[in-house]
Amino acid sequence: MRQRYLTYAAKRLAQAVIVILLTYVFTFVVISILPGDPITNVLRDPQNGFTEDQIKAIVAAQGLDQPIPVQLWTSLSHFLAGDLGLSMRSTRPVTTLIAEVLPSTLVLASSGLAVALLLAAVIAYGTQFLSKRFGQGLLRAFPSLFLSVPNFVIGLVLIHTFGFQLGLFRVIEPESAWATFFAAIALGIPISAQIAEVLIANLDTESRQEYAAVARSRGLGQARLFAKHLLKPSSLPVVTVIALTIGELLGGSLITETVFGRMGIGSLVQRSAAAQDLPVLQAVVSLAAVVFVLVNLIADLVYPLLDPRLRLVGDAKQQPNTADESSAPTLQAVTG
Amino acid sequence: MAPQDGLSASPTRAGILPGPTPPLLRVDGLSVSYGPHEVVTDVGFELRRGESLALIGESGSGKSTIARSVLRLLPHGGRATGRVEFNGQDVLGLSERRFRPLRGRAIGFVPQDPGNALNPVRTIGAQAEEAAALLDQPDTALRKRLILETFAQVGLDTPQRVYDAYPYQLSGGMLQRVLIGLAILPRPALLVADEPTSALDVTIQKRILDLLSQLRRDLDISLLLITHDLAIAAERADSLVVLKDGVVQETGSTALVFSAPASAYARKLHADVPALNPDRYADLRGTGFRRLQAGLRETPKIAVTAVTKTFTVDGKALTAVDGVTFTVPAGTTRALVGESGSGKTTTVRLLLGIEQPDSGDIRIAGEPITGRSHASLRAVRRHLQLVYQNPFTSLDPTWKVESLVREPLDRFGIGTRRERAERVRVALADVGLGEHLLARRPDALSGGQRQRVAIARSLILKPDVIVLDEPTSALDVSVQADIVEVLLALQAKLGLTYLFVSHDLALVRQLAHAVSIMHRGRIVEQGAVSDIFDNPQHAYTAALLAAVPSGLARPAPQSRSWPALNAARTA
Repeated sequence: MRQRYLTYAAKRLAQAVIVILLTYVFTFVVISILPGDPITNVLRDPQNGFTEDQIKAIVAAQGLDQPIPVQLWTSLSHFLAGDLGLSMRSTRPVTTLIAEVLPSTLVLASSGLAVALLLAAVIAYGTQFLSKRFGQGLLRAFPSLFLSVPNFVIGLVLIHTFGFQLGLFRVIEPESAWATFFAAIALGIPISAQIAEVLIANLDTESRQEYAAVARSRGLGQARLFAKHLLKPSSLPVVTVIALTIGELLGGSLITETVFGRMGIGSLVQRSAAAQDLPVLQAVVSLAAVVFVLVNLIADLVYPLLDPRLRLVGDAKQQPNTADESSAPTLQAVTG
Repeated sequence: MAPQDGLSASPTRAGILPGPTPPLLRVDGLSVSYGPHEVVTDVGFELRRGESLALIGESGSGKSTIARSVLRLLPHGGRATGRVEFNGQDVLGLSERRFRPLRGRAIGFVPQDPGNALNPVRTIGAQAEEAAALLDQPDTALRKRLILETFAQVGLDTPQRVYDAYPYQLSGGMLQRVLIGLAILPRPALLVADEPTSALDVTIQKRILDLLSQLRRDLDISLLLITHDLAIAAERADSLVVLKDGVVQETGSTALVFSAPASAYARKLHADVPALNPDRYADLRGTGFRRLQAGLRETPKIAVTAVTKTFTVDGKALTAVDGVTFTVPAGTTRALVGESGSGKTTTVRLLLGIEQPDSGDIRIAGEPITGRSHASLRAVRRHLQLVYQNPFTSLDPTWKVESLVREPLDRFGIGTRRERAERVRVALADVGLGEHLLARRPDALSGGQRQRVAIARSLILKPDVIVLDEPTSALDVSVQADIVEVLLALQAKLGLTYLFVSHDLALVRQLAHAVSIMHRGRIVEQGAVSDIFDNPQHAYTAALLAAVPSGLARPAPQSRSWPALNAARTA
């Protein structure tokens, strides 16, 4: 059992590393073959006012005169060593640029996720306690409503209502606690819809299972049936859903940061994309890939620990009872 | 304190009423509908305390729906009208809040499919605690002792291990025992058992039914048994209610209904039980017996010689098939009988070339199966077809009947389009299906029709040998009779050779010519059907034969004592 899990974990870890490396290479190639040459676009831009000598120096320092495969190799080996290179625009280390804005994005993303989980739980678990005639239908309508409103609209409405009308926060101080709170709500609402939909669907499926009827035949009421039987099996798949929404959380942060005027990875990406600052773009995309892969890796590793059924992975059944019955499961496992 | 004493509906209070004791359960004018569809119409019966009553019928007869109406556990959308009286109180009219205390405490439920009836992500013990909570016993240690004692009582040898296990770690028979244990733990007055053994092997079925009979007597529990098998019902119930399409066909004491059925439907049910009619197909089988006597010198269609197959599970060697030898002459049927885990499935896989044996030799019509290339196996497979156990899962639900039956012809590239269409029609006619079904998909077919489609599909290549892997175990008794008749008629007409894999000895006796009994990978006994059934030599064969429900009332086995429970009651 333990041995099996460790083998499984090692396999998933190796896969994660391969995915990250492939993403890096893919991003590099895509950026390289995109139309537009950074040298012409950025360095020769008369507004920047670089001299021919300066341009030559920068090109040499960035290795832009090398063939693409060589550039890829240099860049990849630096990436593996933790060196993300220098920004082409400001000539500061990319690591520093990211480190400056990362905390702000992390705060926004994690509080957005917290809002999403809380909302989803209230909506989905709430359906279990409202009667079919009253309230439940209303609650079930929320996820589709949330999904159909783009989060920048939600952000603008929140800024208008709570910032300008009610004056709860000053719009020119986007990093304040209240501003962060409303940004997190704007970010969390569409994500909560996805989680709530999965939860509601799971709750519906689980409550139709035979074991739920049998548990009710033991005299369990709705509240205990939900708490003891339905909650865990219907919530487990959310671990996977959360991992999958990480991408959206990152993308959503980008939009929300722009709407609320916050500093963060979003604003960094926006500026770098406008300026074709390739080292920064490459670093941010790779970083996003690393985060996404890591979170999914964690979800995959945690899931078997939470769901006893998955501990079965290739595991022959136990044989605790009488001779004639105990021979059955093992053989079924073999022949089945 | 006795567990039921605190309840308003307690059976002990019923004794206060004047006159003869009212029935424990009285159902009167019960109708159940889903939207506009009425699935149960005006059903009525009575069950007295300590007695047992069986609801009998095929799938769709409404018997499970009635059971669930009594428990008020109808699926969403189901609506029951009429009266269901438990101890004189109409339970259909009660509010959910007033009815809930009856569930578990007064009315226990044993469900049909043990595999889905327990929460997969919680331990057995956690779920048993829910049942134990109904005993109103505040002492945690005593509650746990009661659970373990009940587990021992229902024949689970290692109660503590079962308590700690998750459902996936136990076999179907063990899970069914757990479920019976959970149902009887709060000492209900009525136990509703919905096909409690239909997913189990015969010997385990007998043990579970014995257990129910014994508990009924020891604990004075009334039993409402739902089954499709008339033999089981007759063996275990005091009175019978025969249902068809939600309408009662016949009702009365078991002795009466069983020995002298008045309704045509009850007579048909009686005729369809293999154990009660061993010679039903004597005429159809005659050809095979004559071939068996005449053709002993020609090459057998199937020859399996000293075949052994070992698997490695968790580093341990497990011999699934151990020195198995048998032959099947052309035009006859050999039954391969054994319970789950006996090695019969592995034997079939070896025969089909899906697995390779470690040693031994397998020949189909003289051609060796072992050690062949994939391409040459394909040629052999044309003459060797398989009919799967479960027609509900073996047919692709997105295909139409015509494509399903025609596919083997397409695969082997046989005939022109017109010839193929013609052969599909002939094959369907052979299994008794009309051409109007050609454009249907499996979803629009009944279980019996699906299995006929599967048989037609296996016939289309005109094979000599058909392996039938428990072809009727997923079907009702009456549908099973139809399928058996089709199979035997085809054998008589086309001279087919069958290897019939089954755990149902009564069925084997009806249709096979020779039998091999498998137990733990070995053939423990084999020979002509009449020899094995009339004069079994091996103890395992005798046990299998004794487990076949015969329809004769069985005395309840020895009762046991319940120390912890008695302590709890006097405490």
